[in-house]
Amino acid sequence: MREDIEKVYQEALKGIENASSLDQLSKLRIRYLGRKGVLTGLLRSISSLPPEERPEMGRVANQAKKSLEKAFQTALERLEKEASLRTEAIDVTLPGRPIALGRLHPITQITREVCEIFLRLGFDIVEGPEVETDFYNFEALNMPKDHPARDMQATFYISENTLLRTHTSPIQVRTMERESPPVCIIAPGKVYRVDSDISHTPMFHQVEGLMVDRNVCFRDLKWVLTTFVHQIFDEATSLRFRPSFFPFTEPSVEVDIRCVICRGDGCRVCSHTGWLEILGAGMVDPAVFEKVGYDPDTYTGFAFGMGIERIAMLKYGIEDIRKFYENDILFLNQF
Amino acid sequence: MKVSLSWLEDYVSIELGVNRLADALTMAGLEVDSVKERYEYLDTVVVGRIVDIADHPNADRLSVCKVDVGGRMLSIVCGAPNICKNVLVPVALPGTRLPGGNTVRADIIRGELSEGMICSEEELGIGEDSRGILILSGSHRLGTKLSHALDLSDTVIEFDLTPNRPDCLSIIGVAREIAAIQKTRLKRPKVRLSEAKESIQGFTSVTIEDPVLCPRYAARILTDVHVTPSPFWLKDRLLSVGLRPINNLVDVTNFVLMETGQPLHAFDLDRLIENRIVVRRAQDGERFVTLDGVERILDSETLMICDGKRSVALAGIMGGLNSEIVAGTTRVLIESAYFNPSGIRKTAKRLGLSTEASYRFERGVDPEGVIFALNRAAQLMRQVGGGTVIHGLIDEYPRPVTKKIIYLDVKQTNRLLGTQLDRDEIADLLKAIELDVTVIDEERIRVVPPSFRVDLERPVDLIEEVARIWGYNRIPTTHPINLARGKRLNKRLRVRERLRELMVGCGFREVITYSFISADSCDQLSLSPEDSRRRLVHIRNPLTEDQRVMRTSLIPGLLYAVSRNIKQGNTDLRFFELGNTFFYTRSDQLPEEIEMICGIWTGNRYDKSWCYKDIQADFYDIKGVVENLCQGMNIPGVHFSSLTGNHFPYFRHGYAAEISCGSSRVGALGEISHDVLKNFALKDPVFAFDINLEILLDCIPDEKKAKRLSRFPGVNRDTSLILDKDIEAQAIISFIDGLHEELLEKLYIFDMYPLADDKKSLGFRITYRSFERSLTDEEVNRIHKRIVQKVVDHFHAELPRG
Ligand SMILES: [Zn+2]
Repeated sequence: MREDIEKVYQEALKGIENASSLDQLSKLRIRYLGRKGVLTGLLRSISSLPPEERPEMGRVANQAKKSLEKAFQTALERLEKEASLRTEAIDVTLPGRPIALGRLHPITQITREVCEIFLRLGFDIVEGPEVETDFYNFEALNMPKDHPARDMQATFYISENTLLRTHTSPIQVRTMERESPPVCIIAPGKVYRVDSDISHTPMFHQVEGLMVDRNVCFRDLKWVLTTFVHQIFDEATSLRFRPSFFPFTEPSVEVDIRCVICRGDGCRVCSHTGWLEILGAGMVDPAVFEKVGYDPDTYTGFAFGMGIERIAMLKYGIEDIRKFYENDILFLNQF
Repeated sequence: MKVSLSWLEDYVSIELGVNRLADALTMAGLEVDSVKERYEYLDTVVVGRIVDIADHPNADRLSVCKVDVGGRMLSIVCGAPNICKNVLVPVALPGTRLPGGNTVRADIIRGELSEGMICSEEELGIGEDSRGILILSGSHRLGTKLSHALDLSDTVIEFDLTPNRPDCLSIIGVAREIAAIQKTRLKRPKVRLSEAKESIQGFTSVTIEDPVLCPRYAARILTDVHVTPSPFWLKDRLLSVGLRPINNLVDVTNFVLMETGQPLHAFDLDRLIENRIVVRRAQDGERFVTLDGVERILDSETLMICDGKRSVALAGIMGGLNSEIVAGTTRVLIESAYFNPSGIRKTAKRLGLSTEASYRFERGVDPEGVIFALNRAAQLMRQVGGGTVIHGLIDEYPRPVTKKIIYLDVKQTNRLLGTQLDRDEIADLLKAIELDVTVIDEERIRVVPPSFRVDLERPVDLIEEVARIWGYNRIPTTHPINLARGKRLNKRLRVRERLRELMVGCGFREVITYSFISADSCDQLSLSPEDSRRRLVHIRNPLTEDQRVMRTSLIPGLLYAVSRNIKQGNTDLRFFELGNTFFYTRSDQLPEEIEMICGIWTGNRYDKSWCYKDIQADFYDIKGVVENLCQGMNIPGVHFSSLTGNHFPYFRHGYAAEISCGSSRVGALGEISHDVLKNFALKDPVFAFDINLEILLDCIPDEKKAKRLSRFPGVNRDTSLILDKDIEAQAIISFIDGLHEELLEKLYIFDMYPLADDKKSLGFRITYRSFERSLTDEEVNRIHKRIVQKVVDHFHAELPRG
């Protein structure tokens, strides 16, 4: 008898612990503790035992019953808690409550990136007017009227002597007029040229730079521009320095980088040359120094300039420059 | 500038492969724009066999041929006299562009289908025979490209030359650079002239009346020439660089122009009145018909070539119709001159006329190359046009261009480049490009540049040549010792970036619109006639009508951006822009540039989502943004007042506020008026703010200072008032502020709703706090009651019953 009770008890306990639903649990209860349940049956059969065994067996059986009741109660709580957790859960895959996300224009982002690099190198940011005089935009930069180099920059005119600046170089002249060397500045801003197609917009953005001091040389120019290219693209970008012409610098140089699209194998973006023109630069022409009253025998310097759109197009893979000024929200949302 | 390899090889033997050559030229400063196969245009011309010939039913002199082009049988109408069965011929398939300018098309010719064209040598630009179709000898597979069958190949290199290198605007000039790169020899053409006995003095004379604009004018005369089409070799050379042949005499002038870079002109001597040349300025208002048939109006700045009576050519730019070579011309005067570059440029600019000649003169031709080109042209004209070269030449050279002598300092060179070249290295580099170099002492050399290098005038010009020949990429790259001296960023730059951050934080997308807008945008904004934003800056040469004036407001650009996006189906938009506006001041002064920041909001308050209803943004949304901006910039004393006056007519009346900081009026915000919306094809409400950054800048404190905070708890009291509808919330706030209750920490309005009888209910909460102690309820109740009573009395308000 004792063994029977023990066996039923262990069996029932195992069942209770493994029960995974309330339904299962109540069936177990009926099976062991119900009116016709196994343990109930055993309890009842105690009366048929010899009288001297009855109290002891009764105690054992009641003990087992109590323990099972307790186990049922614990299991019940456990299963009820599980069930309630299940019904209280939410759909975590529903999208979150939207918080309006603002974005900066890609041109602003690239301008910032460019400026930050030069700020780290110790350059200051200077700005100037977008409507300029012919003097600051051309004449002071060694481009007198009727100079063929003016053809390189088709100009919007306001009057005979005022125009929309075609580059931010006038800022360099204004700065040199105002301050004596050393000068170490960059000049970001909007510039304007009469041109409109897939690779030109009549308004675009430039960052130009100028460094003037005693003993500034071409070697320094190469370091600053190499460092810049390595930071705005990556350290592995190779560069080449190619002779060119700007009226306000001599020697003048055009800086090409290995095509970031094809890595030099040749593609449409680089016109199958493997190289991309990215910067114009040069040593400041003595004629420019003379115009602003710097002594060209004492001071030397270099200047450089780049188009922000060009860098943005390469970095973001944009093929049509006009996209920047259509302000299509789907375009702007990408950056 | 285009050059063909085959032509270049007349002057230099090319040892590098085409790609290496193009690369080397680019690295020498002659940027190669493209490298193309010259006969690309023949890619659609294939070998075919004529298998059948039938008479054209509707035209006596035409036949209809069946031509096998390799697996395909074409029907082609042909009029050539030499067609016969079973010969191999070149067949231009539809789409072929012939050098003469025609494009071959599939067509019905007099009722018969013609699916291509059987061509002559001349039509294909590969020979001079134009009498009949080209009959190919040998055997070729049908359908083979003609260029393969005939082994036609030449490379055309196109340069994008910088304005300082006019010496490379010629085949010889480019050949010279190649010779320098390869360190090989340049072969200049030899000119030997057999002249007649008669001297040129008996035929003509040249008078230069303006030696400044025309420092040199030379001429030769040929008689008994015949004007004919040019021989094939001459046409071929011109075609290879993209020039159209005209006749033998004119072609020679163009050939020598391309070969030497010296523009020439050929006059019919018998059409020159008095057979002589006078170089002088035009009369003001004089009319002259140039070769292209256009009548041009001249001014007294224009240099003209004249005969004894009248103008016969626009000097250095284009000849005149009245003296050009014609079919019957027998006596020719060849002009070879040097004109003042800026004079030519002025005239070419003014007339809007740019030619191969003017392009070279305005950049500077070789003043010492004039005679060589003249003799070369005389020699070639005699060769292709027959006739006699009259003895001698006229060379009026009143102002010889002096040779420049430049002294170059070795130290200065190394200092500018950062190199360590010695004197002899520098001298050798310069000698390699035909510069005449003499050593003066250890540190100095004396350099005389050749006359064709008009760009070399100063020591720094030579330093550039040293760097160029030495190689920019061989110059070391080192960290400048002068770097790193940065100053603090100026306030405008710092403020601008902070404003951008705040706007992005408010969920706005930054846009950049063009600074130029259409001239009627002032009307579109309903600006009054005396509005300062009508002080427009006009662009003289705008690209389009809607880019005619500089903007005086950012609003039109933003409205246009909104309208554009709505057309694309995107209706929930929040944009902002930071940028300059431009105001006319005086004709002799630059415009005033004022930086503005504007924001615009249309569509829903929240992005579309399952959890938000579609609620349209309203006035208080855009106002919240402006409040955020002001708080984010820590601007004190910001207040908003109902918009009065006429300065912001584009806002809807009653739905707009002026923004002030202390006594500065920084801008306005509100709903855009319906009339203005209509002008931008907009229907749904649009809200905007328009802030003058120049004024705002002065309102922004330079520094932020932390305040002492109380460690005692605050106590809140809420009160609702019933007020006349017209009493503005700001009035209540200012009134309570004006009571200067020292324990009052904060006041805000938590509730507002309209009531009947032109009344409204306004609920406000005041927080009281002390720095010294915790406040008691009694104390706070007393103060609050006092404040409420004062408000009630002052505004005749009521407290809600019950
Ligand atoms: Zn590429």
